[in-house]
Amino acid sequence: MTEKTTGGGGKYDWFWFLLPALILVVIFFFLPIIITFFISGTNMSTATGFQNWKWIGLKNYQRISSHPETLEHLWLTVKYVAFTLVFFNLGMSLVIALLTTHISRGVGFLFRAVWLLPRITPVVVYVMMWRFIAADAPYGILNQIIIKPLGLKTANWLPMAPFLFIVLVNGFIGASFGMILFSSAIESIPKDLMMASLVDGSSYLQRIRYLIIPHLRWPLLFVTTFQTLSLMTSFEQILVLTDGAYNTEVWALWAYHKALSTYSGNLQWGFGTALAAILVTIGIVMAVIYMRYFKFEELVQEPKIETQ
Amino acid sequence: MRFKIFFSRFVPYLLLIVVTLPIIIGYVWILISTFSTRTYGLLPVDKAGRPGGWTLSNWSFLSKPEIWMVTSNTFILASGLTIGVVVVSMMAGYALSRIKFPGRKAFLSLTLILHAFPTVTLLIAIYFVLRWISVIPVLGRGLPIIGGFGYNTLGGVILVSLALQLPLGIWLMKGFFDNVSWDMERAALIDGCSRFRTWREVMVPQIRPGIAALSIFSFIQGWGSFIIPYSYMVNANRATIATYLNNLLSETAPTNYSMVAAVGLFQLLPVLVFYIFTQKYLLSIFAGGVKGAA
Amino acid sequence: MKVDIVNLTKKFGGIIAVDSINLDIKDGEFVAFLGPSGCGKTTTLLMIAGIYKPTDGDILFDGKRVNNFPPKDRDIGMVFQSYALYPHMSVFQNLTYPLLIKKRPREEMKKEAQRVADMMGIGHLLKRRPGQLSGGQQQRVALGRALIKKPRLLLFDEPLSNLDARLRISMRGEIKKLQKDLGITSIYVTHDQIEALTMADRIAVIKDGVLQAYTDPEDLHDRPKTLFIAEFIGNPPMNLFDVEIKSEAGRVYANLGNGARLAIPESRKLKKLVEGKVKMGIRPQDIHAGSEDGISTEIALVEPMGRDDLIVSKVGNAEVHFLVDPIMKLRMGDRIKLRFDMEKSQFFDIKTELSLLWD
Repeated sequence: MTEKTTGGGGKYDWFWFLLPALILVVIFFFLPIIITFFISGTNMSTATGFQNWKWIGLKNYQRISSHPETLEHLWLTVKYVAFTLVFFNLGMSLVIALLTTHISRGVGFLFRAVWLLPRITPVVVYVMMWRFIAADAPYGILNQIIIKPLGLKTANWLPMAPFLFIVLVNGFIGASFGMILFSSAIESIPKDLMMASLVDGSSYLQRIRYLIIPHLRWPLLFVTTFQTLSLMTSFEQILVLTDGAYNTEVWALWAYHKALSTYSGNLQWGFGTALAAILVTIGIVMAVIYMRYFKFEELVQEPKIETQ
Repeated sequence: MRFKIFFSRFVPYLLLIVVTLPIIIGYVWILISTFSTRTYGLLPVDKAGRPGGWTLSNWSFLSKPEIWMVTSNTFILASGLTIGVVVVSMMAGYALSRIKFPGRKAFLSLTLILHAFPTVTLLIAIYFVLRWISVIPVLGRGLPIIGGFGYNTLGGVILVSLALQLPLGIWLMKGFFDNVSWDMERAALIDGCSRFRTWREVMVPQIRPGIAALSIFSFIQGWGSFIIPYSYMVNANRATIATYLNNLLSETAPTNYSMVAAVGLFQLLPVLVFYIFTQKYLLSIFAGGVKGAA
Repeated sequence: MKVDIVNLTKKFGGIIAVDSINLDIKDGEFVAFLGPSGCGKTTTLLMIAGIYKPTDGDILFDGKRVNNFPPKDRDIGMVFQSYALYPHMSVFQNLTYPLLIKKRPREEMKKEAQRVADMMGIGHLLKRRPGQLSGGQQQRVALGRALIKKPRLLLFDEPLSNLDARLRISMRGEIKKLQKDLGITSIYVTHDQIEALTMADRIAVIKDGVLQAYTDPEDLHDRPKTLFIAEFIGNPPMNLFDVEIKSEAGRVYANLGNGARLAIPESRKLKKLVEGKVKMGIRPQDIHAGSEDGISTEIALVEPMGRDDLIVSKVGNAEVHFLVDPIMKLRMGDRIKLRFDMEKSQFFDIKTELSLLWD
């Protein structure tokens, strides 16, 4: 019986357990956040290289505010987030959750499984499907199945309706997030309540209005806030679908192109990081607000072992 | 009255089928297209546009050496990411769930903030981090197989993917550890285990379903990941299946989509197989990843 | 091993779970910690095990302060209410895990596993997984695992609560016999007074983190020091009445109200003669029905309990519970006379709830 412990146990066990995660978080979260803000204050670009850049303070931000494209990208981003959120991440996900919990359990589960497919499908494969749906006659599915039978004029629909397609492509992925939350919330409504409202003779629509929606208040709020943030910063699907062509360059993609796209030749790291820094700031602020607002801290239990 | 019953019975199914149609059509198309010369919509046709034209020639890409190189890269990426995320998350998740230490609450809050934080906004800055890692001797770009951990190396891509996936992984593993009996861990400590040994021999075996779920999820993520290899590997068409496919896609006219579709199905197939057989586990991630919130 | 607990205190946040407990446990002694759930008895046990760190006070093993020892260096074995077996290991692996950690040779592990398994009567189960065993078998494995490393102190945390009543009684005897045969100092946490009374050499009664009494079962039963102990120990529970003490012509009476009064014998002379209101207690088995004289009462309720009938009736303003032989076939509404065996009566101060007879 000695005070010294053997076999690697000790007072700082927790530190060794956390160390790998800590290193990675510092290198790939903290450092990048600092770098983002730092470089946004410089004129760094391929032209200056990593050596000859200068500190220019808030000039990049001034440039953003006076840039002729700024309003365009901002308005597109707002529109894109709003439409995708309302029609898919909230609207469609709610519809699917309601329908799949209303029908037989097995079939409902099957449909939800199908709706999860876009989320797990490799993004390039998924976007490829949409490109073929939109493709020109005689190949494209949209043209073959709907446009032609109706006798309308066929086209390649991606350049014709680019905004519709970026919303569809993201929406069909985004809907599954809310779908899972909503359907598990609906299924957790006590059966007695459902029975009572059936006995009361209320119709399904009345039940939705007076019983289900009030139960979904919390998940609705959560999905709205969480998905707004992730839509605002997402650009992967758009990059693969159009790479920003046909006026589909949302703010995050604009930043990415300015800083990392090899097409433009001169990479404007300073300006690009300034664009990203705005998103990073919004991200940090909103993430902190979630944590406070949704009271994550209450989920934390105290360890019931205090030994070292 | 009869009509009404019929109506309320079948309308939900009908509605569901209509809204789900685009997804179903997408997958049906990729299946048909892969084995046809061309497709008009979902109809397989030959070069002259006549129905028919079934062929296996789209799979000829399998004889090209590049595809096997990008496949092996993708496999290394997915496996490396999986092992890394699972091990690091299991360690950190255990500490956060079970050990009392100063600042534990702060660490937990941090994990949650990072979980909610949109990681893609950091991609530009991470480019600089990788450039710096490149400068480090050996570790930067002098390792076998993965090349190193710097810019334009597979190891760098793995490391970035791993780090960005950590908040989810840690939170998930913490949740699984939370549910293990305290008495069992106490018993192990009294039996003579150190905390590390308790973790490895007693605790980790109790959360096997969680490990399975996180592994499958991470592997699928790594296997399909595009933006990270696309951003940090210089020669995109030689990096991973995703970047290779993206390259093909941008170069190919709809006429020859069938050939691209075959590569797509090649990438999709393992994911589908995983999904079909491990749905239960995966759903626990999708539900669990947000359960902390709900 | 001798265990001393000195001023042991545990706070969780601002809540005091264990409040300055002092105890000494002799080598080879079997001590029970008895109290209602949430009283701090398990917390005390976990501090002795080294799982919780004391906020204040000391734990001494054979005179040596072990506060900062991790559990593995304390030479203890512990049995849990939930058994806490490792579900991914076989019974053999569970039993020998403590030896595996100590890097004992494989031969010794086999021999010891066989010895302990035979002692516990689980020799034929060594290849099974815990999930394939019944609750009783699992608890035997857990006990075997605690014993295999020959600990100097055995800790039990309500080990029988998850078993059915019949098994509980037989395990009670087995554990007691085993403890006496092996002579290992043991601490046994329970909320079941019968377990404590039948098994332990001494019982520590704990309430709200405070030690109420620490004495042998007989003393606890016959000479309760506080009102809490009087209420908590004994089955069916002790009758408690508010009585008024009055001296009259050299004799002392307890007035039950409505004219009913009982003479207090010389042997129960109160420490301080309080004229006024006190609590009087008397166990149901010390009230005898069917005598010639005594206090007349009408039966309000008859509860058959098997060996006895528990009768409820009214004396003065108070409800009285007592036991009668079912042969008497008493029914509701019958009138009988009750004789109180006042030699067994207890008295408590209403305010301090301390006994007026014992300290």
